[in-house]
Amino acid sequence: MINMKINGLPVSVEEGTTLLEAAKFLGFPIPTLCFMEGLLPYGACRLCVVEIGDGPKAKLVSSCTYLAEQGLNVRTASSRVVKARKMIIELLLATCPQSKVIQDLASAQGVHQQRFRQEHDDCILCGLCVRMCEQQMMAKAIGFQGRGEKRSLGTPFNIKSEVCRLCGGCIYVCPACQLRCTYNQVENAVCNGCANLTPPCLEKEKFDDMMCYMEPCVACEIKNDKK
Amino acid sequence: MEKIKTIDDFKLLQEMLVFGRNTQIPTIVISAGTCGQASGANDIIRITKREIINEGLTDKLNLRITGCQGFCQMEPSILVEPSGTFYPRVSINNMKRIIKAMPQDKVLEDLLFLDPESGKRIEKQNDLPFFKKQVRTILSRNEKVDPIRIYNYIENTGYSTLLKVFEKRDPNWVIEEVKASGLRGRGGAGFPTGLKWEMLANQPDGKGKFLVCNADEGDPGAYMDRSVLEGNPHSIIEGMIIGAYSTQANQGVIYVRNEYPLAIKHLTIALRQAHDIGLLGENILGTGFSFDIKIVRGAGAFVCGEETALMRSIEGKIGEPSQRPPFPTQKGINGRPTAINNVETWANIPVVIEKGAEEFSKVGTKNNSGTKIFSLVGKVKYTGLVEVPMGMTIGEIVNDIGGGPVGNAKIKAVQTGGPSGGCIPAAMFDLSIDYDNLAKAGTIMGSGGMIVMDENTCMVDVAKYFMNFLKDESCGKCFSCRKGTQRMYEILDDITKGKATLAEFELLKELAIVVKDTTMCGLGHGAPNPVLSTIRYFTDEYKRHIIDKKCDAFVCKELVGAPCQSACPIGTEAWRYIAHIQRGEFDAAYQVIRETNPLPSVCARVCNHPCEEKCRAGTSGGQPISIRELKRFVVDRFSQPQSKPARDKKDNKDATRVAVIGSGPAGLTAAHYLSMAGYKVTVWEADKEPGGMLISCIPAYRLPRAVLRQEINSLIDDNVTIKCDTVFGKDVTIDSLFDNGYKAIFLAIGAHESRRLNVPGEDSLGVYPSIKFLKRFNLLGEKLAKGQVGVIGGGNSAIDAARVAIRQEGVESVTVLYRRTRREMPAFSEEIDACLDEGINLRTLVSPSKIIAENNRLTGLELLKNNLGERDASGRRQPVAIPGSQFVMPLDTLIVAVGEQPKTEYFSTTKLNIDKSGIVKVDPETLATNLSGVFAGGDLVSGPNTVVDAIADGKKAAVMIERYLHGEKLQQPKLPQLPKIYIEAKTEEATESKSLTRVKPSSLPIEQRQKSFAEVNMRLSEPAAIEETHRCLRCDFDFTQPKKIESESEKLEEIKV
Repeated sequence: MINMKINGLPVSVEEGTTLLEAAKFLGFPIPTLCFMEGLLPYGACRLCVVEIGDGPKAKLVSSCTYLAEQGLNVRTASSRVVKARKMIIELLLATCPQSKVIQDLASAQGVHQQRFRQEHDDCILCGLCVRMCEQQMMAKAIGFQGRGEKRSLGTPFNIKSEVCRLCGGCIYVCPACQLRCTYNQVENAVCNGCANLTPPCLEKEKFDDMMCYMEPCVACEIKNDKK
Repeated sequence: MEKIKTIDDFKLLQEMLVFGRNTQIPTIVISAGTCGQASGANDIIRITKREIINEGLTDKLNLRITGCQGFCQMEPSILVEPSGTFYPRVSINNMKRIIKAMPQDKVLEDLLFLDPESGKRIEKQNDLPFFKKQVRTILSRNEKVDPIRIYNYIENTGYSTLLKVFEKRDPNWVIEEVKASGLRGRGGAGFPTGLKWEMLANQPDGKGKFLVCNADEGDPGAYMDRSVLEGNPHSIIEGMIIGAYSTQANQGVIYVRNEYPLAIKHLTIALRQAHDIGLLGENILGTGFSFDIKIVRGAGAFVCGEETALMRSIEGKIGEPSQRPPFPTQKGINGRPTAINNVETWANIPVVIEKGAEEFSKVGTKNNSGTKIFSLVGKVKYTGLVEVPMGMTIGEIVNDIGGGPVGNAKIKAVQTGGPSGGCIPAAMFDLSIDYDNLAKAGTIMGSGGMIVMDENTCMVDVAKYFMNFLKDESCGKCFSCRKGTQRMYEILDDITKGKATLAEFELLKELAIVVKDTTMCGLGHGAPNPVLSTIRYFTDEYKRHIIDKKCDAFVCKELVGAPCQSACPIGTEAWRYIAHIQRGEFDAAYQVIRETNPLPSVCARVCNHPCEEKCRAGTSGGQPISIRELKRFVVDRFSQPQSKPARDKKDNKDATRVAVIGSGPAGLTAAHYLSMAGYKVTVWEADKEPGGMLISCIPAYRLPRAVLRQEINSLIDDNVTIKCDTVFGKDVTIDSLFDNGYKAIFLAIGAHESRRLNVPGEDSLGVYPSIKFLKRFNLLGEKLAKGQVGVIGGGNSAIDAARVAIRQEGVESVTVLYRRTRREMPAFSEEIDACLDEGINLRTLVSPSKIIAENNRLTGLELLKNNLGERDASGRRQPVAIPGSQFVMPLDTLIVAVGEQPKTEYFSTTKLNIDKSGIVKVDPETLATNLSGVFAGGDLVSGPNTVVDAIADGKKAAVMIERYLHGEKLQQPKLPQLPKIYIEAKTEEATESKSLTRVKPSSLPIEQRQKSFAEVNMRLSEPAAIEETHRCLRCDFDFTQPKKIESESEKLEEIKV
């Protein structure tokens, strides 16, 4: 067992426990975005940062990926942490203002302003969909491409993936793209991210429903809803 | 190549190789690293081989082709062993000469390195200023070995340290040795290498361990790893085998970026040779120890230099950093323990083992032992790779090894550590370089890039450049790094375009700190450093961009517009009148000049032309346009000053009255513009004629009096009254003016008091302050100089005084005495040239120590000789007197011109704020003094300054006084001055100039200048002027040219589609 302190409270956890799990166990709320139970932690959104260490060696780490260490002194809501979190939410709002998840986060954390130039993206590249696809659906149909500001999500060679089973898992876990599934209304589409994943029934007009091995799928249901 | 199976066999081979070496005959060493090859080393190699064969010197000369030797700027360079003769920048023809001279041991003087400081040729490599202060333990090996010949490496004691380690048979000894040496990782973070190895050695063996050589060198401007890999790959291999032996690692990886083809080639050859000879593979030299190295080529992502990302890349995954702990030594490549060290660290290992830990740690400072290679690039005289002991100061590296600034521009800062590093300002150049000091200064050692920047580098632009790099090179995993760098770039871009506000600047700082805090890996952690460190040391520059909308380095295009225009204190649109001259529209050209300048004929002659200093034709490597001469060409076509601007309100009889004190350029300009705005202006002048310094100091041969008087008269209209012979403070005072109904006062009395030398005997007869000397002559016609004349000082007033003196009867000789060298003289260079042409002597590096007088009459001057010493804060080298070097110079007249200051006895009786030297303190933005309604400008507030600055002050004062009288806010937001009017370039003839050099006006022949005050410089002829205009780069087109052409080409493309 590992003994450490979270916000001054002593806690002992099993080896291999992350700081996030330990804090949640004690009831300290830590906002997260790219974390999901059942998927391996990735540490992309940086919302879950907590402060560890003391004095000049104090630093912020992402609690979802940092494993508990003997004697660690963790602060989940120090002023440094709160400042950083608020700035990240501001950046998130500047990127994906229409995401309800992000709006809720902002309101919960008391972020009332957004000082950057407004963008209208639909993806914060949290990687939940990639991990969902790989770790739960065992498909590895989508992944990251490029780096830096050109980083994006897509299928290999940006063509329809052969291993995609159109399960919709990626869409289900997405925190930012509630509007993503506009499917065939390309003019309203917020993104083209899953255009490659569009079910064939929507691509081809004369699609034979009987031949669809996935029936009924999400796409069918949306179709039905619209009718 | 036969495989060697025992240590003894290897020793035998080494002995044989050393024995077989012929050290009697000279060797030509050609440096052919990437830098050398790019400058033509391959041709030199080819020609050398052919010449050696042609001349039949095959057994009299050795040839060795090596990697980079460090002095990349001088490539292709040749080193001759054993003499150490160094030939820089060798051409094919010169190479032939060198080879012919070799058998006679002759040194070709004319091809040697020319030291610009001393003007002497330097023969030996080690005596070159660039090499002198270096301690080249690693780089010096580059010139000893041919990288593709393992035998060459072995005969130069290569792999001996490996044998030493094998014979010790104690891995722990190696680790202890490396730990004791204090060697720290040369990749930038400075983690102790020995400690890292110990951590790896302590890991359970399991399925094997990895050693990695990190050669993913991606910092812009850093290339020391490449040079070591290219020049001495075996030293890396040797270091890695030693490391593997001591940590029981069984697999080695060299991760090198694919952009280094030569390094990969040499490494591949070296690895194969090491394998063939039995130094890699199973059971090395019969010790039972097995180790192998493979090369993994990186695709060039900057982030793959980060160790966790690098391991992912080696595994074949996307190069994304991951959480540490677990550290690579616990869980690295494929989950196995891994130690990663930089190229330079590996190259240091054989040095540590060879010298022993104790000896190694003697170099450098405590906790920072050994040497470090820096790639010194940017705005210094000598660029290349420099290897220095830790703890050397930045100043030593930049000024001594790098040779200081290239041109006249002062060095402003160095940038270390690449994109994750920061800038260190010139004021901190005595900082000694080591990991800890750099971290304290807000930057990092990084892999050792050192970019020197001077005044022509904009620090905001530097931060923007690095942020642009980082936003592309961030892996993009951490949201705060990916978006943070993008947003920081966005704000920096806005700042350089003049669009940002102070609130955004604050946001930038806030964001930078959060990005630094919240990212996962070193890249993100260091990404805000370029922003934070430039903000830390150069906040003023940021504020200048944001508030004043000015970029003083003339880099940010959207703020600079046309450099000539924005460099001009009064914003003259030089590009515009040059365009008019080109089209033959001389009237229009005059209008453009007169629009902003009330004294065009004066400025056409005596302006210090800041426009030419910043002209892009000059700053981009060529010669600037002769803008002042073109102005002179235009204004001299008109015998009467033309085109006064129209007045706002005509003959306003009960107009508000404003008083202007002083009728110099500042006072006259203010009076003129106030009069144009409808105010009644009275100008008071202490001397008998208006004009201030223009008439009392500037000699008539530079500024003919007729021209000056005409121009001054053109500014005097019914709204302006000039009252001469009225001394301010005596005849009129601030209080009396306000009492008499003046609503505002502009003080522009100039700086008319010469500074004193403060040496004994200064009050003797025959010693004159320069202002007194010039005034007496210009206003009263008195000729004070006679016999042998000495002038002390190096500024423009010293040169004026000297040139006036030589024109006076009874003067035998004139000598200008200056304490530094001509290069440091503040006077205009062309004036000094003219001065020398007229037979005036220039004696530099002397300071006066005593004035010798008989019967209180000057007979001579005692002087001390100087040497140039350390550089001061201004970047100029300080004169240091040589003790005992006194000598006496017989003189009849001595003119002291060591600076001027305002006469301000009166001000001390008022409530006006003045400083020690008599300068009136004003708000530089508004020229307002601490007294309401009293403004001041010109030399009175700036100290001795230029005419055009005085005019600028006058214009500003007029605007501010008007705002004041209207009760408006004085300070108003500023906008960048950008070219607005499009003037088409003349296209009938070829617009490209035939001549690349700038036009020079003809001047009066020397004989005719004797004792004559006729104007020396002539006006340009029409063809010469028009020819000169064709050299103009028309920087205004960026802003004014209609976008027609673009849209046409777009249309064309549309049609094609």
